Amino acid sequence: MKPIRMILAPLPAPRRAALGLLLAVAALLTTGCGLQKDVEVELPAEPAQLVVECYLENGRVPEMTVSETVPYLSAPAATVLTDVTVTLTSPTGRVETLTFRPGRNPVTRKLYTHRGQRILRMQPGDTWQLTVKDTKGRVVTGAATMPAAVPFDTVEWKFNDRPLDERRALVTARFQDPPGVGDYYRFQIHRDSISGAREVDYTPDDRLLDGQLITLGTSYEFEPDDTLFVTLYHLDRPYYRFLQSVDDAQSANGNPFGQPAAVQSTVQGGIGVFTILNYQRRQIIVR
Amino acid sequence: MRFYFSRAALALLLLLAPLSLLAQAQYLLRGTVRGTDGSALPGANVAVPALGLGAAANADGRYELSLPAGRHRVVCSFIGYKTVTEDLNLRANQRLDLVLSAGTELQEVVIEGSGTLEQKLQTTQMGVERLSAREAKLLPALFGEVDILKTLQLKPGVQNGGEGTSGLFVRGGSADQNLFLVDDAVVYNPNHLFGLFSTFNSDVVQSVDLYKSGFPAQYGGRLSSVVDVKLREGSRDSAGVSGGIGLISSRLAVETPIAKGKGSILLAGRRTYFDVFTRQINKLNEDTKDYNPIPDYYFYDLNLKANYQLSDKDQVFLSGYFGNDVFGFNSTRGFNFDFNWGNRSATARWSHVFNPRLFTNSSATWSYYTYNIANKLDQFSFGLGSNIRDWNLRSDWEWRPNAKHVVRFGGSGTLHHFGVGRLQANGGSFNIGQNVEYDGLEGGLYAADNFTVNDKLALDYGLRLTGFQSGSNEYGGLEPRAAARYSLTPSLSLKASYALMYQYVHLVTNSGASLPTDIWYPSRLSVKPQRSQQVSTGFSWLIGSGQFLLTDEVYYKWAQRQIDFRDGAQLFVNPELDQEFLFGRGWAYGNEIYLEKKQGKTTGWLGYTLAWTKREFEPQRGTNGINGGRAFFPTYDRRHNLTLVVLHKLNKRVNLTSSFVYTSGNPTTLPTARIGVQDVYGGELQVVPIYPDRNSYRLPSYHRLDLGVVYKLRPWRRIGGESDLTLSIYNAYNRRNPYFIYIDEVKNEETGLPQSYRARQVSLFPVIPSLTYNFKF
Repeated sequence: MKPIRMILAPLPAPRRAALGLLLAVAALLTTGCGLQKDVEVELPAEPAQLVVECYLENGRVPEMTVSETVPYLSAPAATVLTDVTVTLTSPTGRVETLTFRPGRNPVTRKLYTHRGQRILRMQPGDTWQLTVKDTKGRVVTGAATMPAAVPFDTVEWKFNDRPLDERRALVTARFQDPPGVGDYYRFQIHRDSISGAREVDYTPDDRLLDGQLITLGTSYEFEPDDTLFVTLYHLDRPYYRFLQSVDDAQSANGNPFGQPAAVQSTVQGGIGVFTILNYQRRQIIVR
Repeated sequence: MRFYFSRAALALLLLLAPLSLLAQAQYLLRGTVRGTDGSALPGANVAVPALGLGAAANADGRYELSLPAGRHRVVCSFIGYKTVTEDLNLRANQRLDLVLSAGTELQEVVIEGSGTLEQKLQTTQMGVERLSAREAKLLPALFGEVDILKTLQLKPGVQNGGEGTSGLFVRGGSADQNLFLVDDAVVYNPNHLFGLFSTFNSDVVQSVDLYKSGFPAQYGGRLSSVVDVKLREGSRDSAGVSGGIGLISSRLAVETPIAKGKGSILLAGRRTYFDVFTRQINKLNEDTKDYNPIPDYYFYDLNLKANYQLSDKDQVFLSGYFGNDVFGFNSTRGFNFDFNWGNRSATARWSHVFNPRLFTNSSATWSYYTYNIANKLDQFSFGLGSNIRDWNLRSDWEWRPNAKHVVRFGGSGTLHHFGVGRLQANGGSFNIGQNVEYDGLEGGLYAADNFTVNDKLALDYGLRLTGFQSGSNEYGGLEPRAAARYSLTPSLSLKASYALMYQYVHLVTNSGASLPTDIWYPSRLSVKPQRSQQVSTGFSWLIGSGQFLLTDEVYYKWAQRQIDFRDGAQLFVNPELDQEFLFGRGWAYGNEIYLEKKQGKTTGWLGYTLAWTKREFEPQRGTNGINGGRAFFPTYDRRHNLTLVVLHKLNKRVNLTSSFVYTSGNPTTLPTARIGVQDVYGGELQVVPIYPDRNSYRLPSYHRLDLGVVYKLRPWRRIGGESDLTLSIYNAYNRRNPYFIYIDEVKNEETGLPQSYRARQVSLFPVIPSLTYNFKF
């Protein structure tokens, strides 16, 4: 069983709990009894759509990835679209062109297909526009506004009372939610480096905690001397919906009761996400 | 609401106006049919064969027959009982109480449903299936667990919600559009273990009536069907114990007479016992490192039924149900998860006979459904739950002014409490409590007249007036109901019916499964009552010298303000839940052919349904609706559905049974394309499925054969008990029926990178034999 990472904030939906149970029962019944088999299915071929993924950050050179949808049952292949032009428009109307220059960011270890010419400056409330075009006439557009910063109040950790070799720490982070419902967050903890595996990753909202001092936490899962990067993103609703819908779309495959959720893109004319990040990060060593 | 009810009074008066009290040279023969033990025998048949007239005893064992004056031979029969014949000379209204003695041998049981084919031919009622627990008990069952709801799924026009589940989808209606009544009390979640078993213990069920169309006016509140379950009465003659030991559960029922045979009490229970085994396994593995204990799971049911004859004219009944599913998980890592859910209900009913022409039934019921989840991880804990509670009063009257009319009227009122969501979360530094709840008041008045115009034509017409109030939200409507039967020949009847229904409470669910966490929500704010209309017509034809009844019904049903939810809807503890609903329309049509044989050594039925069901949710509330506003087939749409049920009495000891089911595959949605998402930081590329139109893919067809043998053991001489062994073989030819299909990623073993994608089909149940031992003494 996976470590249970959600504590309070994602308020585990009871439906999920029930489905989890049901699937556990189904898995118990179907595995080992030869009740699974490969089958041939004919899936209709739909025209390929452009897929974009672009996260802007203040003080960074913009990078983005453009790809397209592929038939689900096709073999994985690294296809790069070479005929795509990408522009960003600043709140003042200045146009920045991202050139086709595939590479990998050394810090985030992320692949990109297009990269800007210079560092961009942006502040909360600024709205940027994205336009992606290819030679086949496909156009994807999007707009993103930078959310306000929500600073940490405290980031703390606490060890349990187990014997030394079983001693583990939990981490709690506290912050003040701004008044008014409609604030969305993403809480992440990475161990050792931010490009490594995420130990904790969930997306709470302030529906039940509006305007309060919110505490997010983990279970007792960190070992003494772990170096942790605790990150709190403040998200806007479109990006939050995108994250949720990606989750829903993934879990509907293989779940006989899941509704087939469409990915809720933040862009028009294609699929994907264009957003401006605003986050707080603390590095801690639990000891 | 007041406005609607004043209109109601007027409508009811108009309705009763055509009742001309014509004098007839007819007298009423009435009475009760009971077993020698004093228990009522609902469904027993009382007939005058010479006149081709007959009637079935009602839930209290009461029957009434209108006969011309003169000498008659009355024959009373019931499955499992010896037939009784009485001669009488009818010169006035007369009472004749009939007592049937049980057949000495189980083998003599004539396998026959309640009500004869002749009655089914003559009645105006269409789209009704009546099933006795005795029938259900003979049929093969999954894990040997007799389930009356699953037996109903073998009837035309009724779909299940998935392999092995007891959910009912009737004529294109969704699972929440069925009204489940147990001795008049509403059951909100009639399932255990996510619908694999129903809450109805077959040991205490007497009979079930399922209405699919032509709904009698006394029923209302759900769009698609009424499942009226009656529990049996205990013996008024002698104390007894019965029960059974099965593969996954055991049952025990105790009954005893009270007050010198004036009444009886029946107490029954059943409990599953896989937890007994899983606990042992956990104990053995206690010291194994990294061992995760198997969660604890069990369910149990308790039923109580008591009846008492106050006087010749008065009888009182008490009925109660208490059931729970209990799931618990305690990990060694400090994670505890407790989840339980269950129904409770209680009914007190009083039946009074004023005179041979007028009697009444009044009841007070209470029903409650709740689920609770308690979760604890280290210092954090949370609890959440939901419930619905009803208090209901109702009174039903039946008046027979003369031989041509049977007038039914009455009313009911229900006080609902919807505990839509409750949340309590605690941690070191926080404490959250949220509770969303509403009250609702639902009322209904009705009147209906069953009018036998002449030998050929019979009409049943009625009107139901309903209203609902929650806070400042008020709704109401008139629900006309009508049915007609015309006899072309003595063995061929044409029938037609119409019904309009309102549904004021809605199930908040967006899955095809019946989950214990589904919650009920009242009509309020933007959530208006659901509404449906259905027309159906067809014929009933008695063929083969009266041995077979062939019925054909064609129906069209259209429904407005159907509900679904926007993608990513926040369904839990949401004070603005009404904003998450989407509203649309649905329609369904089809034809059901049904051939049944109820007498002789070989009995059974053959049913075939050809049907279409569609739903449409246009763009609204800032969404694209569902499926971009295009109509789609819901998952329970099935084009073809064939069932064949055969029961054969081989000899005095052995009954052989079989059922075969074939249905078209159910619509589902398979992703057609995929995209890769990296997220903010690089790492493993997430593969995200992209879905086409909803339910645009059909799973392969489903078919299954079940076989059963009921072997009667020799009676126990010393205490006069009897017992049998029931062998069930579920999915006898071990068909791998599709439960669902998903797309799987195949990874390269060396690099760990995705190598290819393939479609995988998951089946749920292979061939499952099971043996059940039943006893009675």
